[in-house]
Amino acid sequence: MASLCSLRLNWLSSQHPISISGIGIEFRTENYCNLKFNRTRKYRGKLVLTACSTGSSVSTQPTSDRNGQNAFSLRKSFQKFQQTVASLPPVVLVINRNSGANLVLGFFIATTCLIIAVRIYVARRLKDTLPGSVADLVRRGQLRSDRRGISSKPLQYEDPFNNPLVKISNSNSTVEMCGTVYRLAPVTLTEEQRTIHQKRRSRAYQWKRPKVFLKEGDSIPDDVDPDSVRWIPANHPFATTVSDIDEDLAQNNVYQKHGVPFRIQAEHEALQRKLESLQGEQKFNKLGIDPANAKDFERAFRTQSKSHERLENGTHNGQVSESKPHKPDPAPNSFDTNSGSAKDDI
Amino acid sequence: MLSLKLPPSFSFKPNLKPYFPPSQQKPYFSTIKSVLQYNRKPQFAGTTPRVIVITSGKGGVGKTTTTANIGISLARHGFSVVAIDADVGLRNLDLLLGLENRVNYTALEVLNGDCRLDQALVRDKRWAHFELLCISKPRSKLPLGFSGKALIWLVDALKQRNEGCPDFILIDCPAGIDAGFITAITPANEAVMVTTPDITALRDADRVIGLLECDGIKDIKMMVNRARTDMIKGEDMMSVLDIQEMLGLPLLGVIPEDSEVIRSTNRGYPLVLNRPPTLAGLAFEQAAWRLVEQDSMTAVMVEEQPKKRGFFSFFGG
Repeated sequence: MASLCSLRLNWLSSQHPISISGIGIEFRTENYCNLKFNRTRKYRGKLVLTACSTGSSVSTQPTSDRNGQNAFSLRKSFQKFQQTVASLPPVVLVINRNSGANLVLGFFIATTCLIIAVRIYVARRLKDTLPGSVADLVRRGQLRSDRRGISSKPLQYEDPFNNPLVKISNSNSTVEMCGTVYRLAPVTLTEEQRTIHQKRRSRAYQWKRPKVFLKEGDSIPDDVDPDSVRWIPANHPFATTVSDIDEDLAQNNVYQKHGVPFRIQAEHEALQRKLESLQGEQKFNKLGIDPANAKDFERAFRTQSKSHERLENGTHNGQVSESKPHKPDPAPNSFDTNSGSAKDDI
Repeated sequence: MLSLKLPPSFSFKPNLKPYFPPSQQKPYFSTIKSVLQYNRKPQFAGTTPRVIVITSGKGGVGKTTTTANIGISLARHGFSVVAIDADVGLRNLDLLLGLENRVNYTALEVLNGDCRLDQALVRDKRWAHFELLCISKPRSKLPLGFSGKALIWLVDALKQRNEGCPDFILIDCPAGIDAGFITAITPANEAVMVTTPDITALRDADRVIGLLECDGIKDIKMMVNRARTDMIKGEDMMSVLDIQEMLGLPLLGVIPEDSEVIRSTNRGYPLVLNRPPTLAGLAFEQAAWRLVEQDSMTAVMVEEQPKKRGFFSFFGG
């Protein structure tokens, strides 16, 4: 009986049988793929050693003889195989024989290591210096540092949860934001816990929102609930002002949508009345915009600055008129003549 | 965007059970719709205008920064926003927005009749939907009697504007629980509690939450600012979940500590407009998104994990 052990090497679909002096060992690789999310496909090789025995006259031999012969032939074949293996030279000796190839191999390994080292060194150096980067441009004065990295243009993404800078892992256990991976932990607050906290706070903090603010030392008005009074210090911003407008007027001011604001209109009307009264007194010819008259109607913070300016202008004009008495007095509300006189002075 | 197209076999972890307020029980998958859907505008929830006061109790925790960034984020999404700086003596919102040179009139002038309300509203040139209203100038003083009522009038007047009712009115509350706080919370029906992970801010926050609840403002959400994951990991800082356990409020957002916040403040340019976006800017945007949809966080970021590098990363790949 002829016994045959074959050694075959399969990679993907190809078979590479190796047969050495009638004894073969077959290596077969089985292919299987791990499909992950229908996208990533990973191939892995699996080495399978199969021993096959074939015999054409197996059916014609008795069973006991056959077993004995099989054992004998198997022992014989193993001996042959051992002899074959022993006859082959060791791998080290084979490599030593090819010293030129070894040198080339070593050269390639050294070159690869050198390339890797140089690349890492260059990458680190680029990371440190970043020539041509925005920071470098700012350092060289090409770019304004205060406008760096900001833009009034809208960003490309709309959803802050779903943009290239936010990546959630497939298992939803981690999230990567701006290049950093964070582990996610679930929020464990329950409705019962929230209710417990609310009850605790309601017991701890008994509070009623004050409706009326009173300065310390003031007396409580009759129609005000003492519990709704908030006493504030005398130097508090709310306490140091005295409002000259009442509540209804302030509310109307807030609700006003169109037209001249209330105070501006009131000032204008008061000034108009003053003008009319002056007209009635036959003083129209000598009338100008007198800062003394306007001062009565303007607000304090505006009056001071404007009146000072006007007084200064007036004194300046007065000095000019005193120094040059032969020139005619310009009309007070005529800007052209004022500017002309100023040019003359210069 | 490849990583955002989740596989058909995607399933949310069952232990990530979200919190829902009792008034708005949502189906389970709606909790992660903001994660799954993209290229859409946030869906407005509630009735206009939503008057939201941003408060803390303790000073310096980021109320004004939150107001500016969330306001601009909302305006970027197309919602009309009016931000009211109710800090009477120490207003800063105009500085953060870079509008300090354009504030000529304030609400005080409106009350006094020096100008109309539309003249006191400062419209942002970058985002036309965003308007700023300051209560008063730094050295001017608000009349004592009708401070709280004045804000109610202002909100009513904003509702009746010709341009239409704004979607959001954000009120930047001053620190403390003084008269300024009482004034600021008067017209609000929602509140955002800004806190930092330190015990002083938490104690003040708990008290302020109690006052708000006594005043009838039940819709209060919490925003944890200046969180540092490295300190939380080393147990040198309270985690966000610890803070939530102490205060018992739903989370609107967690803003990580970011040096860009100071830079953007100094520039007068809100953080959310930075390009490329920063970590804190993204967190503010996400918080604004949740605010629109009246949503809350279902999971928080707890610690940093080293990024897995590929096999060829050694070769520079």
